[in-house]
Amino acid sequence: MTRLEATRVVRRRLTTEAVVASLGHPAYDLHAAGDRAENFYTWGSMGVASSVGLGLAMAQPNRRVVVLDGDGSLLMNLGTLATIGLVAPANLVIVVWDNGEHGTTGGQPTATARGADLALAAAALGIQRTATVDTDAALDRTLGEALVDAGPWVVIAKVRESGPAPKPPRDCVFIKHRFMAALGVPEPATAGQPAEGPQAPAPRSLPAGSRRPAPAED
Amino acid sequence: MTDLPLWASRVADGLVDAGVGEIVYVPDSPLSHVVRALEAEHGNLRATIATREEEAVGIAAGLYLGGVRPAVLFQSSGLGNAANALASLLIAYQIPALLVISMRGEEGEWNQAQVPMARAVGPLLAALGIPAFALDTVASAGSLVRSAVALAFGTRTPVACLLRRRLTSQDPASGGAR
Repeated sequence: MTRLEATRVVRRRLTTEAVVASLGHPAYDLHAAGDRAENFYTWGSMGVASSVGLGLAMAQPNRRVVVLDGDGSLLMNLGTLATIGLVAPANLVIVVWDNGEHGTTGGQPTATARGADLALAAAALGIQRTATVDTDAALDRTLGEALVDAGPWVVIAKVRESGPAPKPPRDCVFIKHRFMAALGVPEPATAGQPAEGPQAPAPRSLPAGSRRPAPAED
Repeated sequence: MTDLPLWASRVADGLVDAGVGEIVYVPDSPLSHVVRALEAEHGNLRATIATREEEAVGIAAGLYLGGVRPAVLFQSSGLGNAANALASLLIAYQIPALLVISMRGEEGEWNQAQVPMARAVGPLLAALGIPAFALDTVASAGSLVRSAVALAFGTRTPVACLLRRRLTSQDPASGGAR
């Protein structure tokens, strides 16, 4: 399965879950599979998406939090799996798109292309529930459990690169405002909220053209 | 267990009084007193150990997005490790956090390796546009922490409190008062 096909499997399963996507192709594909306010698209900080998901899961223990990470990006911050194992948030599901390469930057190989096993690493670092899937049916079945049963979960999904996808909104502050409002914790003095203290600028609308595929610029 | 230094209690009180709801930290000796003070005096405030400073900043971002005010504690040597997450996550998305940075490499330092990064802390924070306040007396520590938290969450930016050696090297037995 391609990463975009796999992302569509995730998207079909989503209801109220908060989703954090790692920058580059995981975020682009999440947007292409269906934009929603509960999606948090990162545009920087490679490697940190799973840590953001951990913080979210700690702050909102009654909401399922899904992270869409990549093999290359998780390998930049593997220690966070140990922290997740230690904190053990039952509501956190980390899905790793494992294509064995840094797809966003031109396909440089990662260690998983030569046998590194991120599911074994996650288990060794204290993650209770791990799985490796390589078909959309297996991914769908695993998500059916992971979005309900207590975790934390790390699901390694073996995927192929997909073609270029339309990019998500580029305005970071817009993404944040929309996301926090959807999670029921809007920042004060944003659109539709009563002002508290100095009036903050209202979130800007989606930048024109942000839904069009753009030439690669990574 | 040694007595809690007064400065550490004041910093911990300031964090709690200002509404900080979760602590994420990378261990350091002076910071261990702050964490002990939080545990001793504010037991319901969770303190989570991260493996690295950039990870700690990422966890803090997630906490804020979920509606909790985070503080991130680490040593000056770790600021470089955190730089990209501070820039491309907190600053880009206007996500606030209080950074409590314990200084090494200042007066009394014996370890050469601590000095270059200590020298870089001020210029690096300035280059990132992160306001920084030096805490060097017990008398002002609590109020500076509270006003730094107010600035961070009122204006949606990371703000740093630097725990100076002249504050953190004070003798716990004397209460560190000066």
